[in-house]
Amino acid sequence: MIEGAAWRRWVFSNIPLILFVFVLLFPFYWMIITTFRPDGELYRPWNAVNNMPFWTNKPTLEHITYLFEETNFGRWMLNTMFIALVSTMISLFCGVLAGYALARLNFRYAGMLGTLIFITYLVPQTLLFIPLAEIIRNFRLGDTPWSLILTYPTFLIPFCTWLMMGYFKAIPKELEECARIDGASRWKAMLYIIIPVAVPGILSSGIIAFTLSWNEFIYALVFLSSPDEKTVAVGVTSELIRGDVFFWGSLMAGALLGSIPVAIVYSFFVEHYVSGLTGSVKG
Amino acid sequence: MVVTALDAAEIKRPRPRLRKLEDERWLALALLVPTAVLLGLFIAYPFFEGVLLSFSSARVGDPGHFVGFANFEKIWNDSIFRTAVWNTFWYTGVTTVFKLGLGLWLAMLLNRHFKGKALVRAFILLPFIIPTVLSTFAWKWMFDPTFSVINWTLFNLGLITTRINWLGDPDLAMTSIIVVNVWRGVPFFAISLLAGLQTISPELNEAAAIDGARPWNRFWYVTWPLLLPVTMVVMLFSVIQTFADFQLVYVMTGGGPANATQLFATYAYQIGINTGLLAEGAAVSLAMFPFLFLIVVVQLIYIRRVETR
Amino acid sequence: MSRINRRKALKLAGTGALATAGGMAGILATGRSPAFAQQKTVHWLRWVDFVPASDTLLRKELLPQAEKELGIKINLETVNGNDLQPRATAAIQSGSGPDLIQAFNNYTYIYANSVVDLSDLAEDLAKREGGFYKYARSICSDGKMFMSMPWAVIGAMIAYRKSWLDEVGATSFPKTWVEYHDVAKKLKAKGHPVGQTLGHTFGDAPTFTYPYLWSWGGKEVEADGKTVAINSKETIDSVKFMQAFWKDGCDEGGLAWDDTNNNRAFLSQTIAATLNGASIYIETLRKPDQYQTDKGTPMNKDIQHSPLPSGPAGQFGMHLLQSDMLMKYSKNQDAAKDFLKWIHTEKNFEKWFISQKGFATPCTAKWEEHKVWTDDPVMAPFKVAAKLGQAPGFAGQPNVKAAEALSKYIITDMYAKAVQGMPAEEAVKWAEGELKKIYSA
Repeated sequence: MIEGAAWRRWVFSNIPLILFVFVLLFPFYWMIITTFRPDGELYRPWNAVNNMPFWTNKPTLEHITYLFEETNFGRWMLNTMFIALVSTMISLFCGVLAGYALARLNFRYAGMLGTLIFITYLVPQTLLFIPLAEIIRNFRLGDTPWSLILTYPTFLIPFCTWLMMGYFKAIPKELEECARIDGASRWKAMLYIIIPVAVPGILSSGIIAFTLSWNEFIYALVFLSSPDEKTVAVGVTSELIRGDVFFWGSLMAGALLGSIPVAIVYSFFVEHYVSGLTGSVKG
Repeated sequence: MVVTALDAAEIKRPRPRLRKLEDERWLALALLVPTAVLLGLFIAYPFFEGVLLSFSSARVGDPGHFVGFANFEKIWNDSIFRTAVWNTFWYTGVTTVFKLGLGLWLAMLLNRHFKGKALVRAFILLPFIIPTVLSTFAWKWMFDPTFSVINWTLFNLGLITTRINWLGDPDLAMTSIIVVNVWRGVPFFAISLLAGLQTISPELNEAAAIDGARPWNRFWYVTWPLLLPVTMVVMLFSVIQTFADFQLVYVMTGGGPANATQLFATYAYQIGINTGLLAEGAAVSLAMFPFLFLIVVVQLIYIRRVETR
Repeated sequence: MSRINRRKALKLAGTGALATAGGMAGILATGRSPAFAQQKTVHWLRWVDFVPASDTLLRKELLPQAEKELGIKINLETVNGNDLQPRATAAIQSGSGPDLIQAFNNYTYIYANSVVDLSDLAEDLAKREGGFYKYARSICSDGKMFMSMPWAVIGAMIAYRKSWLDEVGATSFPKTWVEYHDVAKKLKAKGHPVGQTLGHTFGDAPTFTYPYLWSWGGKEVEADGKTVAINSKETIDSVKFMQAFWKDGCDEGGLAWDDTNNNRAFLSQTIAATLNGASIYIETLRKPDQYQTDKGTPMNKDIQHSPLPSGPAGQFGMHLLQSDMLMKYSKNQDAAKDFLKWIHTEKNFEKWFISQKGFATPCTAKWEEHKVWTDDPVMAPFKVAAKLGQAPGFAGQPNVKAAEALSKYIITDMYAKAVQGMPAEEAVKWAEGELKKIYSA
């Protein structure tokens, strides 16, 4: 919306945009380049001469091989993927049902329940994790992925519920009423008519839930302890900070590789992610 | 719980409505049960346990006994706690202002047609998608006292001669975590605000332009009011997240140097898990709740007012 | 829920080969042959050793040997030292976790309620090897029980570049703080200051600040263990001196350093001296080609060690004491005890001790005669680390309150605040307030 000469477009639109993109993406470039630089190049003080930090002529795979050979990195990736998938499915299941109930059904406490679900979002995790540790212990789930799979929905479900509420509200009532006139029960109408129409919304919630659970840290930090059970975030934090002198190469390798699955999944569903995000905000 | 099929041939008015209501209520109950169970078991119950914990003298391995408000008194008189309170408010306030300003600017920059727009939009969200812990490590490496690439760049541009102590100087450390938080949050603001901008019909702006309004006035009187609902909701989410932030500070500075970046969540963790004083840690966490509640209520009221305008 | 129990049993029983198959697959599968559950596993949690050769020795030689001889599996897990405390707390609260957890200094008191008394093993070892040093005994035992089995003391000495100190006229390492201040000033003017951490890190920060405080005559509490005595003229003097010392002679980035930063700074030649364990020197021995001085000579020939300088009240040192706690929740207590007995037998422990090259000093007097100390004269100062160490909580006992003060970094923060601009008296008053809260509870 900048009218006028081309130079104005450049100065006011394109250059700032380029700057934004650069700043937002530079750390990822830094991650990548550090992963492939040998140690000798990495550890030169910031003001040493002969220090060209942005490129390397001797790329190496030693950090990545270290990552896979000396740590359980592969295992962590599998763990995180498993936990993210299952908790997303659970949250979607609960969120879709709850979203439908709150958006489309008339019952007295709908408003209050919606607010209540919202309030749970406010409860800080640092308050919950000690009592939760006991609950986990009582169910004997300590140090297993299930301790996370059952606790992640606590922050995923509210999100999914609101998102789905928004989507369900946007579906015209006529669709359901047609089905009901044709003899379907409320339940069947929901299952066979509404939900298929809301599939984009479900995909959006799913992808957002997936990225959110990949991002979780504090529960994973407290409930998991064996190296085999850790998630990527916890593993990278606790096992790549070693007493040995050099670790940044492997740390960046871990950060890079740990980000890739989420980035890939996200790239397939960008549209859904964006519309989900904006939908939750508008709704 | 399967609801029996409605008898569509029912003629009498009152009965179907009653049945319908009952059906709806049962259906609603059934649909909400899984959610209620999970949230009840893993949030409501631990929440009450946490509250009880904060009123006890529990330490690691020792369940302790009831001590009333003693823990709260103790942390209120704890200078580190007070520092953490101040830090959290400052951190949340400053980052929100910057995220809003920069996010809005970016949203407006994106609100045009240009080649590769979809690609740019997709890439821009990366800081928000990538797990916080991992991207924070990248920043930590960029801020490293001895090997910082930022220092290298500034040095070679001739802008500095001595090293900038990003994570070692207390004020700079706070600045550093603010920078990383803003970096992470701007895409979220930008994309959401962009969606909001796109719902504003361009004719409104054009009409204003024809009437002679200058760009700034056009923005302030036309665009901004229409954007306000979306803005408020985005800010609400962001404030909640930032106020309770743990990961970023834990990885970057651990709350240091000398508690300059200590927040509610990190302090609760340090006392509870590190030192083993579980009850006091719970008290610190619980102390977060009223502040958060207040902020949220204020924002919700504001949103309600804006929406009904 | 029984499925989960069986999974848990599988997890405890099967590590190694079963880990990859057992973890996730075990959850998805419906029950395996219970035969796997019968082999005992001991899960040992230690820090990532600053001497990598020792961890390799454990994993490749010692532990497989123990497994063969004892018929159990041993699962060694190493984490960043700063994470030992959180792991211990989380494990105790969730009722499951490693069987043996390594403790630093007087963490043992914090977890006293959740550990098994190891007096029989400890006294046995003491008898065989000429008795424990006072330091080790006071930290691992409260007089009634042994909360942990003493392992070793990581001595902390100042590692310095001899040639650089020669350049500024210090042919031998400064004996007093005043002299050290002088030397540091000259070193900083030449572009390689002294480097010290004042951050929240378990190793280098307390081992510097506590003995520094004591050498000026300051102390946390009186001998009665109740009266907080930190607010004294001696303490204030020490703080004022530190403010000047820091500004004139130290790398000011040290406020954000953890235990590895000073290593890296020293090895990349940005600092001239730092208090550390022997890991810096050992690293230069490991890779002599990578660590060269500006003149092209190997750096390891230019490194010397010295104890901390002395102050008006004498010369002190506080060293990191490592011990192993056996957790009450452990289901493999007998196997764990057998393992501890095994690894502390002289022939087995010696292998580990030699791999450390003097980085760690054992807790019993008999190892003073060992030839490790005479092999490399650069390491000689470390021999008496365990003998001369003084424990936190001075002049009281190194009990739970001292442990709390230590893990809250009160003393370190006192100096950190002062160095960042707080007036000395205020910083000391702050520390006094914090200590009073702990000691009066």
